[in-house]
Amino acid sequence: MDFGQIIVNGLVLGALYACLAVGFSLVWGVLNVINMLHGSFIVLGGYLAFFAWQSFGVHPLIMLPIVALLLFGIGYLVQFLFINKVVTAPVLTTLTLTFGLDMILYNIMTVYFSATPRRVTLDLGGISFLGVDMPIDRLLGMALALILTGVLFYVMRASRIGRAIVAVRMDRAAAALMGIRVNHVYAITFGIGALMAGAAGVIFAMVFPVTTNLTGMYLGKAFVVCVIGGLGSVPGALVGGLALGLIESISGHFFGPQHSLTIGFLLMLILLVVKPTGLVGKKGYE
Amino acid sequence: MKTSIFNKRQDGHAAGDHPKTVRTLGYMAGLAIAGAAMLAGPLASAQETIRIGAPLALTGGLADEGYKQQQVYRLWAEKVNANGGIEINGQAHQVEILEYDYQSDGPRAGQLAERLITRDRAHLIMAPFGSGHTVITGTVGERYRVPTIACVASSESVFANQNPYLFGTLSPNANMTVTMTDFLMERHPELSRVAVLGRDDVFPKSMAEATVAAAEAAGLEVVYNELYSVGTLDHSSSLTSIRRAEPDWIYITGYTQDLILARRQMSDLNVHAPIVTMVTGPAYEEFIEGLGSLAEDVSSSSWWHHSATYEGTGVWPTTDSFYQDFLEISNGADPDYVHGSCAGALAMLEDVLPRAGSLDGSAIRDALAETDIETFYGSIRFGENGMNEARELPIIQVQDERIVVLYPESIATGELRILSR
Repeated sequence: MDFGQIIVNGLVLGALYACLAVGFSLVWGVLNVINMLHGSFIVLGGYLAFFAWQSFGVHPLIMLPIVALLLFGIGYLVQFLFINKVVTAPVLTTLTLTFGLDMILYNIMTVYFSATPRRVTLDLGGISFLGVDMPIDRLLGMALALILTGVLFYVMRASRIGRAIVAVRMDRAAAALMGIRVNHVYAITFGIGALMAGAAGVIFAMVFPVTTNLTGMYLGKAFVVCVIGGLGSVPGALVGGLALGLIESISGHFFGPQHSLTIGFLLMLILLVVKPTGLVGKKGYE
Repeated sequence: MKTSIFNKRQDGHAAGDHPKTVRTLGYMAGLAIAGAAMLAGPLASAQETIRIGAPLALTGGLADEGYKQQQVYRLWAEKVNANGGIEINGQAHQVEILEYDYQSDGPRAGQLAERLITRDRAHLIMAPFGSGHTVITGTVGERYRVPTIACVASSESVFANQNPYLFGTLSPNANMTVTMTDFLMERHPELSRVAVLGRDDVFPKSMAEATVAAAEAAGLEVVYNELYSVGTLDHSSSLTSIRRAEPDWIYITGYTQDLILARRQMSDLNVHAPIVTMVTGPAYEEFIEGLGSLAEDVSSSSWWHHSATYEGTGVWPTTDSFYQDFLEISNGADPDYVHGSCAGALAMLEDVLPRAGSLDGSAIRDALAETDIETFYGSIRFGENGMNEARELPIIQVQDERIVVLYPESIATGELRILSR
């Protein structure tokens, strides 16, 4: 029985899931916007890292801050120019808008990059410990996921902009009366979500093939992770990601890989009924 | 005062109030027009363009495959038209490929196939990539009695509905798996334990099931047999189980992104076997590019390889002539089986349409059913279910970053390599 290996597989996968979900969770929790662009942002980050590596030999880790900043800019503009126009409308309106924008971005990427799967073939190898194999690139991804989540947690808790974001989430009108530029804060929040997606994309370019075929899968995972972990708290994405990774790994081993995704979704449905706030989500954000 | 319900014409007759002379003139004019139409009919059809409908996935997840089909469709049409078209009953007809982007969306493929038949008057439909979407377009073709040619569908289930208007140029999956199993057992007699992991999707699932059946029939022990869901981003639990089962042969099916991920994770988790087969990954250049050294010695089955030396009818008399033409339009990239099969299907039409003697759907269907020819792509002969049953399928392996053909002997360019740990 490779129980140790199964647990490690689940934790490493879960950290990657957390990495892709944290930005999505922030935008959903703060802006009440289900950002359908999130999967495409991740893939765009992956493509930028891949082409920089292929064309100029730039290591993905060097590209990470550059891609993150670039995606922040894109996210800021998308929110400021488009989503802010309808941000107070019902959630279905913003969902439809981001869905339309996602179709545009997705097809632009497919046309210009093609859907051919590409990968940064760094192949950093792995380490074995007590009979458990751990690939270095996934461990690196796990570490980066934890760091990014930690930084975001700190920013939300201890920085001026973080407090502004929380204030706008709690009471938009009161925040505006206190002198907070609400639309600017919204754009920054969406920008941070895109920044996290771009960073996740760079990490994923080292682990998964980069292809537009994966945009929907990433978005679906982010959605499930947020529901399991809960909205309104940064650690929610981390907890949800790790929980989903472990569930998929364990159920894949015992029930077959065919059923691991189904069991993950089943857990999500159960949580929606039993505990709509998710495992560590805050009341009022669900 | 009485008023007519008819508008007065300038000649003073109410509309509909035809005097005898006018009626006679009307009849004569009608007869003249009908006669002219009867005379002009054959003349018009003599110059009629052969319209081939092609719903293509030019955007969306299957855009790569759609583009491959589009490339060879255009190449063939250009070449045929430059050669004067296709002769039917002594009359030369130009060909036209009518393309629509169905955006990788199955139901839309069906709608566009219908539009191609009903509005654009397509004489034939070239089915899009994949077994699932082929079923959809094939069903539409059958409804209107317009033949559908599937150049990228190999699952027997697609042809199980006995659609008399559906023909496929790829060979049944079972042919591939039996050939592969026999070949590997012959070259590696120690082979005894096989692990099969397949994607839960029409073609990959059918390949996985066919491999399990072929392995069991050949007396091999199937030590792992599972499917993974579409959308799986991690194969570690399957591969951990496979590692524990210690197979001699690992057989994984899926599409390129799945297989790149699986091969990568095999390396990460130290999963080894003397023989690793992935279908259809190595058939594509992007598999080798995406894996680098990890692609080495991975074997696969394919429906065609450009190193084969076939001769046949049509604008490409030899495999090499097609290969050279393709290199010119692809900036030096090699064609794969999608290019080969789809171009082969069109080259086949150069033999089928003259035999059909007309552009009527039923006549073309009958001529297709009787097809037994050689093309640059290989033999094409349709069985009872409409699948090509005349193919000798190559077994290939990645060796030194290029594809080597291991089987059949007639086109082999290398020997099977066993994977080193």
